Amino acid sequence: MIVRKIGENIISPLGFSVAENFAAVMDGRSALQRYDHLWDLPFPCFVSLLADDILDEVFAQAVDQSRLPMKSCTRFEKIALLSAAKALQSTPLDPSSPRVLFMLSSTKGNVSLLADAAPDIKRVTPAHTAQLIARYFGNPNMPLVVSNACISGLCAQIEAYRCLQSGQYDAAVVIGADVLSPFIVSGFQSLKALSDEQCHPFSSVRQGLNLGEAAATVVYAAGEEPNGGWRMLAGAMANDANHISGPSRTGEGSYRALMSVLQSAALTAEDLACLNVHGTSTLYNDEMEAVAIHRAGLSGVPVNALKGYYGHTLGAAGILETLLTMHAVEQGVVPATRGYEEIGVTMPLSLSSSSGKTSKTAFVKLLSGFGGCNAAAAFTFDSCR
Amino acid sequence: MMRYEVLHTVKLCPSYLEVDGNRIAEAGGETSFLTDLYRRLGLDYPKFFKMDILSKVGFLASEFLLEQEGGERFVPRADRAVLLFNRYSSMHADQTFQETIAHPEDFYPKPSVFVYTLPNIVTGEIAIRNKYHGESNFILLPEYSEQAMNQAIERAFLAPGTTSLLTGWLEALSENEYEASCSLITVH
Amino acid sequence: MELTEELKTKMIEVLNLEEMTPADIADDAPLFGEEGLGLDSIDVLELIVLLDRNYGIKITDPKAGKEIFASVRTMADYVAANRTK
Repeated sequence: MIVRKIGENIISPLGFSVAENFAAVMDGRSALQRYDHLWDLPFPCFVSLLADDILDEVFAQAVDQSRLPMKSCTRFEKIALLSAAKALQSTPLDPSSPRVLFMLSSTKGNVSLLADAAPDIKRVTPAHTAQLIARYFGNPNMPLVVSNACISGLCAQIEAYRCLQSGQYDAAVVIGADVLSPFIVSGFQSLKALSDEQCHPFSSVRQGLNLGEAAATVVYAAGEEPNGGWRMLAGAMANDANHISGPSRTGEGSYRALMSVLQSAALTAEDLACLNVHGTSTLYNDEMEAVAIHRAGLSGVPVNALKGYYGHTLGAAGILETLLTMHAVEQGVVPATRGYEEIGVTMPLSLSSSSGKTSKTAFVKLLSGFGGCNAAAAFTFDSCR
Repeated sequence: MMRYEVLHTVKLCPSYLEVDGNRIAEAGGETSFLTDLYRRLGLDYPKFFKMDILSKVGFLASEFLLEQEGGERFVPRADRAVLLFNRYSSMHADQTFQETIAHPEDFYPKPSVFVYTLPNIVTGEIAIRNKYHGESNFILLPEYSEQAMNQAIERAFLAPGTTSLLTGWLEALSENEYEASCSLITVH
Repeated sequence: MELTEELKTKMIEVLNLEEMTPADIADDAPLFGEEGLGLDSIDVLELIVLLDRNYGIKITDPKAGKEIFASVRTMADYVAANRTK
C-alpha cells in the first residue's frame, strides 16, 4: 500500500498556505521577534506570534461558523480548524466518509483556558478540539490526539501511515497545532531553555530555543501505485530510556529511529537530499542530534533546521517542517539553516546558512522530545509519469 | 483483526489494586495509597516521589505488571513499546503548574512541575526505569473507547521490532481520582 | 534556625526528597553525582527557583550554579553573601 500526500496547509505568521510559507522561507524571512513585556511576563522573549486580526479575517472566510456548536473559538481552535479547512479545500476527499480518520497533534492545546476564573476543563483537553474539528467536517469516527511532546507531529504522521498501510482507513487528516501562552512560555523559561535573541541551531553561540505559533495539516491517502507527488515511505519512534527532560548523550533513541527508518525505506546516504532535523538550538538537543547522525554514518548528508524561521512550533513542528522540506526538495533546494553561524557540536555536520541545491528526491525528518522520545520518518517524491 | 495475547493485567484505582483480576491491596491506611504501594514493592527508587500523580499511577501499574511477568528486568531492549491512553492528558500537572504562575506577586514557575505537563512523560518514566528503547506514545481520546484503543494497539504492532506492548488507559485527575487499567500484551 | 538547616528543610520540600530528613544531609556532602544526593538537572533548576523565591537571588546561567550547589555549605555561603531578602 502506498501512502500519498493529497492535501496540505500551513497557518503561521509567515502566511496562510504552504506556498506563502515556502516563499517566505526561500526569501529568508522570519516571524520571530523580541518582546520585552509580552503578557506582562517578567522576562523578555523572542517568539513568533500570529496576529489576531488577520487570523480572524482568514478564519471568517474559510470556516462556516454557523456549523460550530459555540459562539466563539479560542485561538487554538481557530488555527487548527482553519488549517484543516484550507488543506481539505484543495482535495477531492470527502471528509465525512467513515473511511477517513482525523488526527490532531498538539502538546498543550487550549491550556491557556486554565487561567480563567472557572475553567471549562473539558474544553482544555486537546481531544475536545479534535472532536470539534471532526464534527465540523461531518466525520463519524472518533478522532485521536497524539500527545508525545515535541515529536507529536511526526508520531501523528506515523499513526496515519499505519492506518492506511493496515487498511484501517483510506485517508487521514493530520492536523498539528499549538499556540503560545504565559503557561508555555514561562514553563520553557523555567527550564532555562529559551533564548531571548534569534536562535542559532548547531552553532557555538547557541543559548536556547525560540517558541512559535503555527498550525499545519497534511492529508494522506492510500493508493495502489505511485502516480506522482509525495509519498511517506516509513516512520519509527524510539525512546532514549535516559532522562525525562534531557536527551541521551549518545543520541540513542534518535539513532535507533533513524536507522529503523533507513532500513524500512531501503534508503542510504546517497539517496538523501537532506536530513531535516529538530535543531531547537538548545545546547543538548543539537549536540545529541549531531551524535546520532554521526553514528548513523550520515555526517555527509546535508542537514537543515527550520527553527530560525518559525521557532519551535511544538505540536505543529513535525508537520510544518515536513511540508516545507517537501516543497524545497521538490524544487531541488535544501533550505538554509537560518541563524546558523559556526559549528558548535562535537561531530561534523553538513550545515549551511545559505540554501543549497539537490537533485535527490528523498529526505528524512527527525524530531526528539521530552519523555526521551524520538521519531524519524522518510519521504520521497515521484515525478509524474 | 490482529490476534494478541494478554499476558497480565493490572487495575489500580484509589480504593484497590488488582493484578490479573486478583485483589492485591486495598486502600485504608493513614498514608497515601500510592505511597503504600510503592513501599509494598520494596523499591529504592526515590525518583518516584518527584513524579506527578499521572506518572506515579502509571509507574506503579507498570511495576506490578512487570513484577507479575517476572524474568530478567532492566536489560536494554527495544521489542517492547509503551502506549498509553487517556482523555484529560496531564490535567493535574497542568493545574498545578498554572497555580505557580497565576499570581504576579508570587510568580515562580516551577520547572519540576512543568516537565510533567506532558502526558507522555509517564511513558518516558517507564522506559527509563526498564531500559526500554522501543516506541513510546501517548494518545488522547474524547472518551474511553475500546475500539479506538484496539486500533492503536494494532498499529503499534506494525512497528518493525515491536513484539509486546505495555498498554492501557491511564487517567489521573488528583490524588483521589485516578485509574490505571493496563496490560502486557504480545503477538506471536 | 541556622541557614544550613533552613536550606536542608526547604530542599527536602521543593525537591520531594520524601524519605530524607535534614539530619540525613551532611553540610559538605556533594549534592550531585552518585555519591551524594544524586540530584539531577531539574533539581538544579528548582534550587535556582528556591534561591530566587526565598532569598531574592537571581541566577540566570544554570552552569554557574555548579559551584554554588556543590553542597549545602557552599549554598549557604552563597546565600549569606548575596541574599536580598
